[in-house]
Amino acid sequence: MNVIDTDQSELRCPACGGQCLYDPAAQALACTSCGNTRTLETPWDGAASAETDYHADTPETLPPDLPDSRAHRCETCGGEVVFTGAALSDRCPYCDGAVVLSTADTGYRTTALIPFRVPEKDAQEHALDWVRGRLAAPNGLAATVEKGRVAGLYAPFWTFDSTEAVDYWASYTTGSGKNRRTRRTSGKLTVDFDDLLMPASPHVTPLIRDGILHHFDPRRLRPYRAGYLAGFAAERHHQSVAEGLSANEADKRLLIRNRIKGHINKSRVSNIGFNADTSGIRYRRILLPVWILHYRWNDTPMKVVVSGLDGRTFGERPFCRWKLTGYAAVASLAVMAFGLLWGIGAAP
Amino acid sequence: MQPLSLLGPLLSGLALLAASTAVGAGAMRKLVHVYEAKHELKQGSAGFLRTIAGWSWIAIWAMATWFFATIIGDWGASGDLDGAIARSWLRLEILLHIASALSDADS
Repeated sequence: MNVIDTDQSELRCPACGGQCLYDPAAQALACTSCGNTRTLETPWDGAASAETDYHADTPETLPPDLPDSRAHRCETCGGEVVFTGAALSDRCPYCDGAVVLSTADTGYRTTALIPFRVPEKDAQEHALDWVRGRLAAPNGLAATVEKGRVAGLYAPFWTFDSTEAVDYWASYTTGSGKNRRTRRTSGKLTVDFDDLLMPASPHVTPLIRDGILHHFDPRRLRPYRAGYLAGFAAERHHQSVAEGLSANEADKRLLIRNRIKGHINKSRVSNIGFNADTSGIRYRRILLPVWILHYRWNDTPMKVVVSGLDGRTFGERPFCRWKLTGYAAVASLAVMAFGLLWGIGAAP
Repeated sequence: MQPLSLLGPLLSGLALLAASTAVGAGAMRKLVHVYEAKHELKQGSAGFLRTIAGWSWIAIWAMATWFFATIIGDWGASGDLDGAIARSWLRLEILLHIASALSDADS
């Protein structure tokens, strides 16, 4: 029996032979025919949080996976998603473009995933609540977004651990006026990164990651099983570890720079430079659940993303130019009134 | 003071309001982004740091508006534009120091 046949049998209801889908509310596979549910938990689920050591001079420990006949490629954004069991949607969860069956393609084997915990109905409400709460949003935005529906997707992510031995140098300024002095400083510090999450897809931006994934608990990871994906789309991992590390570099350097500022512990720190010696790299290649709602505003495609773990929501939003101008006029009047009174008081 | 002598400060005030509003729309947009970052992004994350970078622009915009308004207020009260500008130098110097400190903190 091949992998696909094995997946299909897992998705069949043992009671009635019907098709099963993963139910986030029940945290189990639920039969669409008889309603029978069964858990996917296993005694060895704890092993899913294991990390893999990375050595730059040795080849990938996990070779690219074999092609999957049910992979779909989006004709609009080129993204590739995998539907397990019956494909529930013919639209790309990322850009809402049409998807077509893809020919042979390889992706890397995913080691673990965290199953959906937030049901579709709740995700839809979270997305709409987020849009309704936007300041300076155009009138009619909520009504436009209400027409869209969230789509469940397992998005590929990395977790990276590393230890950075940092040598830094910087300037800081003390005093003001004639007493203003710029001083040089340098030092060393060690920065430990633990489970730094990095999207492995260009569709989930680092900004959206930081909006929806505040707490990552590796104990919630489960071994990759087709049953968890039933009813949802999943994007394949296409990055090698070296590519993932490279994509993570900009975030890591920004965080190190921020740690250096804290280490110097002076106000007005500038001209920060550093060298970092990285060691102890460990990684996981995982899938995390997200609900994505697509909408268009003035022909610009935008998306609102809801975490399938806890419902945290973030996304892309337009601004109303007139509302921003109105706020600016009110703020300008307030600041000007203060300034005018100050000036009147300063007059002889 | 003659009503006509208030025409200059009044027109200047309106021009300042227009200019400050035009420039301030960008500052308001930044303010909304910073507000959203404070409330919705993971504190200390890379996305949070990138989003709040440039916040000093909001303060610098407000200080510039305030500074020009003080000159107009002084001018309106004293009728002496040259004197009002001369009296504003100390304020300008203090504001530049504050702006410099804010830029450093925002870098």
